[in-house]
Amino acid sequence: MTEQRYFDDVETGEVVPPARHIIEPVQMFLFSSATGNAHRIHYDHRWAQSEGYANIVVQGPLQSALMARLLTDWAGPRGRLVRIQVRNQAVAFAGEELVCTAAVVRTYRDGGAALIDLQLAVTRAGAEILMPGTATVSLPCRADDAESEAR
Amino acid sequence: MASDQSADDVLEIRSGVVVKRAFQDWAAAVGDLNPLYFDADVARSAGHRDVVMPPMFLSQVTSRVRFLAELRPDGIPHSNTFGLPLPERRMAAAEETEFCAALYPGDYLTATRRLAGVEQKHGRSGDFALVTLEIAYHDEAGRQVARTVASIIAR
Repeated sequence: MTEQRYFDDVETGEVVPPARHIIEPVQMFLFSSATGNAHRIHYDHRWAQSEGYANIVVQGPLQSALMARLLTDWAGPRGRLVRIQVRNQAVAFAGEELVCTAAVVRTYRDGGAALIDLQLAVTRAGAEILMPGTATVSLPCRADDAESEAR
Repeated sequence: MASDQSADDVLEIRSGVVVKRAFQDWAAAVGDLNPLYFDADVARSAGHRDVVMPPMFLSQVTSRVRFLAELRPDGIPHSNTFGLPLPERRMAAAEETEFCAALYPGDYLTATRRLAGVEQKHGRSGDFALVTLEIAYHDEAGRQVARTVASIIAR
């Protein structure tokens, strides 16, 4: 996690610096363990091939967790993930480079909240989209900080 | 989301406690070492009362123990058909979650799973059923803390 991001400084069209990940079997094992996921396509190469996959398949929830991490890292400690929607469009295999991307499509206020809507995608090496999505993040405003300092 | 759904739509109600070690194991597996999840001082200085549960860990809080005898040879639970006559092969299609509040170690959650719809579809690789589920998460005080809509393809 980096420094705090403020609503005031975000503009529509802004691109979140992408994150690149290569998911190896050791990480997939840990993630299956942490989620009680015994599905064999995630650890048994021959079984995965028998179901028509080229290699063991990266867990969808691991991809969406990496996508969410891009957003929470970008938002900073007082930002909050309010909503995330993802679709499993294609599978990723162990050892492939995954790139998590996000771009700001709207900034607005709703009641007391300052909100950012983003368009998301996890891609295979920056090309084929594996997991498209959308999200909403809330961020603090600089004025809120000034008020709390004045008190 | 309509709040007047009949009790007949409820497929399952499960509860569970937010466990710090469990969500930290999960965050470590993701490689997400956000100090909000690991360092209570950092979390407090950001306005929280303790380390924060990673939001995407949510479904794990109320997940069931996997018993070997319940698992098919491919590792998927036999029972996972939501009480519906569904084909064997199932995969997650899409998921949307709204997070209404931060969650902390010790929080007790109840997840109420409802069937929102079943559609028969025709795809390039044959017919399939698209099952939509809604999962509402409430805390001990009865406040809704999150809500998920998930769709599953069964073929």
